[in-house]
Amino acid sequence: MAEENHDESLEFGDNVDMSTFEQILDMDDDEDDKEFSKGIVFGFLEQAEQTFDKMEASLASKDLQELSALGHFLKGSSATLGFVKVKDQCERIQHFGAKKDETGTGNIQDEEYCLRMISEALAEAKKTFNEVAAQMRQYYAES
Amino acid sequence: MDGSAGTASANNSSDFVRKLYKMLEDPSYASVVRWGDEGDSFVVLENEKFTKSILPKHFKHSNFASFVRQLNKYDFHKVRQNNEEGGTSPYGPNAWEFKHPEFKANNKDSLDNIRRKAPAPRKPSAMNEGEIPIQQIDLMNQQLVAQSQQLEQLSQRYAEMAMNQQMVLQEVLRVQKTVLNHEHVIQNVMTFLHSVDAKQRRDSKIMFNTGDTGQTAQLTPTSQSIAVPEDEPASPLQHASKLLNDCNAEVQFNVASMEQLHDLSHKTPGVMSTPPADQHMRNASRAPQSADSSSTLGYARLNNGELDQVVYPMGTNNGIDPMYSEHVNNIPYSLPPKELDPSDPRRQYADGRKKSTFADPGWSRQPRILLVEDDPTCRQIGGKFLYSFCCVIDSALDGLEAVNKIQEGVKYDMILMDIIMPNLDGVSACHLIRQFDRTPIIAMTSNIRSDDIQMYFQHGMDDVLPKPFTRKSLLDMLEKHLSHLKRLPPGMEPPPSATTSSIPQSSTGQSIKDDASSPAQSPAGSMGNWQSPGQYPGVSPIHTNIPNQYAQMANHSPYGTSPHTPITAHIPGRQQQPYQQPQQQPQHRRQISEMSGGVTDMNGFNKRQRVYVQPGPSMGMPGGPQ
Repeated sequence: MAEENHDESLEFGDNVDMSTFEQILDMDDDEDDKEFSKGIVFGFLEQAEQTFDKMEASLASKDLQELSALGHFLKGSSATLGFVKVKDQCERIQHFGAKKDETGTGNIQDEEYCLRMISEALAEAKKTFNEVAAQMRQYYAES
Repeated sequence: MDGSAGTASANNSSDFVRKLYKMLEDPSYASVVRWGDEGDSFVVLENEKFTKSILPKHFKHSNFASFVRQLNKYDFHKVRQNNEEGGTSPYGPNAWEFKHPEFKANNKDSLDNIRRKAPAPRKPSAMNEGEIPIQQIDLMNQQLVAQSQQLEQLSQRYAEMAMNQQMVLQEVLRVQKTVLNHEHVIQNVMTFLHSVDAKQRRDSKIMFNTGDTGQTAQLTPTSQSIAVPEDEPASPLQHASKLLNDCNAEVQFNVASMEQLHDLSHKTPGVMSTPPADQHMRNASRAPQSADSSSTLGYARLNNGELDQVVYPMGTNNGIDPMYSEHVNNIPYSLPPKELDPSDPRRQYADGRKKSTFADPGWSRQPRILLVEDDPTCRQIGGKFLYSFCCVIDSALDGLEAVNKIQEGVKYDMILMDIIMPNLDGVSACHLIRQFDRTPIIAMTSNIRSDDIQMYFQHGMDDVLPKPFTRKSLLDMLEKHLSHLKRLPPGMEPPPSATTSSIPQSSTGQSIKDDASSPAQSPAGSMGNWQSPGQYPGVSPIHTNIPNQYAQMANHSPYGTSPHTPITAHIPGRQQQPYQQPQQQPQHRRQISEMSGGVTDMNGFNKRQRVYVQPGPSMGMPGGPQ
């Protein structure tokens, strides 16, 4: 997945929604140093790692409410950058944290189940995040 | 006294009562406070001493009134001293005797039965109950008012839109009709042209000067040169051109209103408007630099432009010289698409990237936007987008900061408000701000279920921008709610654009630019205002270019002196005959003809145009003098 990143034909697979991400790239004043988008992306990477740590801690203390809030938070920024797969998992975390089902509509009583699902989603989120992070680092290193 | 007797149970009794009892057990106080003679009451003999020395020891205060109040709470009652007239208290006139049925000397157990009166606690709660409803009612009132305002707005908007729609429908019908007529006419003209054209060209370039030709021909250099007798005998051509004129007159009107509608619709739904706007902006931003700006710009207007062109052919014939069959190519209908394709992709990709950074949507002044967002990523991107739309941005990290800013009196044109934020969420912040400020507030959120949205509106939000937002959705929002900051009221725009369109192929500028490339064009491009499609500004540039054009033409033709020729242009074409030559160069023909169209504008054209221009100057009468 994280292979060829020719400057123009970005190849991030389905990790990244290109129309969204290109909007950010469009905001770069200089195509070459990509200062703006780079700052945003790397800011996000850092923010996401911190958030994952907080999620782990909240998972350990079984704080569903906090997990939901963290999920929502990271969902917003990942969505804005077009990191859709990360976004999807964050949304799951948000919903399960609020004791809702994946669609965010039905209620779930079983908190243990929610925690289990969140743990799953978090693992998936980290995995897909690591992919995107690697792609991004490569992309910005090359460009 | 069996002081120890009831200690166990004493735990149940109230602190206050036990303290009271204990105090009374102290014989040293007897002169100040003691059990009553009957042992079923107690008496404060020396009010002052009691207050100053005993109260502090046992109750940690020296306020007789609160002591009494507390007694009352436990249902002690002051024994009335004057039950019988003139009766004085057995303990002296200044004595205070208090009594409680369960408060008796030597009966510590019964202390448990002394409780705080129910009424006491009840009172405060009753108070609360009274207050809360009032607050709630206030709140509900406010909400009601807000809702009714919103309802009113909605119904107004609905009415507006309904009207608009009707108008649009009517206009569409009319346009359909006119277009049909138009097509008929054009078909007639064309068939005729085809038949006559070949012959006549061969015959000589002198041609007969049919009045219609004159009218129609003006645009084309040929026509100019050929003929201009306006009052020539009738011929199929003349007939056709008359029809055309009729059509034009009608259509001009229609188109005008169409454009207004179009603009209106921009304002209200804010949906349709943006795509063009965006393009315009891009064009505008790019134009100054790109040589082909004119062509691109021309395109922007195409929706209208197409119509315009159809409707207001240059002069009457859009640069189609009846004498030359090749001119068929100049028929406006076919042109737009051709130009569209090339320009579009270019704009999208080549320009899109970089130039889009600065896209002034055409504000009369920079809108001030408050961006309330706790997530740094969204805040930066949102801010950057806004910046690219030439807005002045302030940001707040949460609802509290936002409310503070508004409270401090900072004025904004719009507030973009995240919903879920620490300290104070966006809905609450909006609710607070609405108590004293009406700045449009847009909810920026991914929670867009209908009940969420309903809640946003209930608390005074004006709109919802779903997250993740895009540049376009953000711009839509701006244009929708800040239409009053647009540089030109949309209604006013059409005229200029129409004007441009009247020189149908200002777009031809593309070719022009190459040679003429001219400073003149850049002004056009630099017009940031999207409403003025490139064409608009293009008009004048073209004029300016004209000399250049002529110069070019001079190469092919005797036209060299051209700048002056235009003047003579509408003096039918003897002199002009020599000029026909240019047309033999097919490639340039179009531009030339157009150019000449432009030229005619400037001079001879004016006269004629006034004639039918008058109805709708706005319609972009070529208004030669610009």
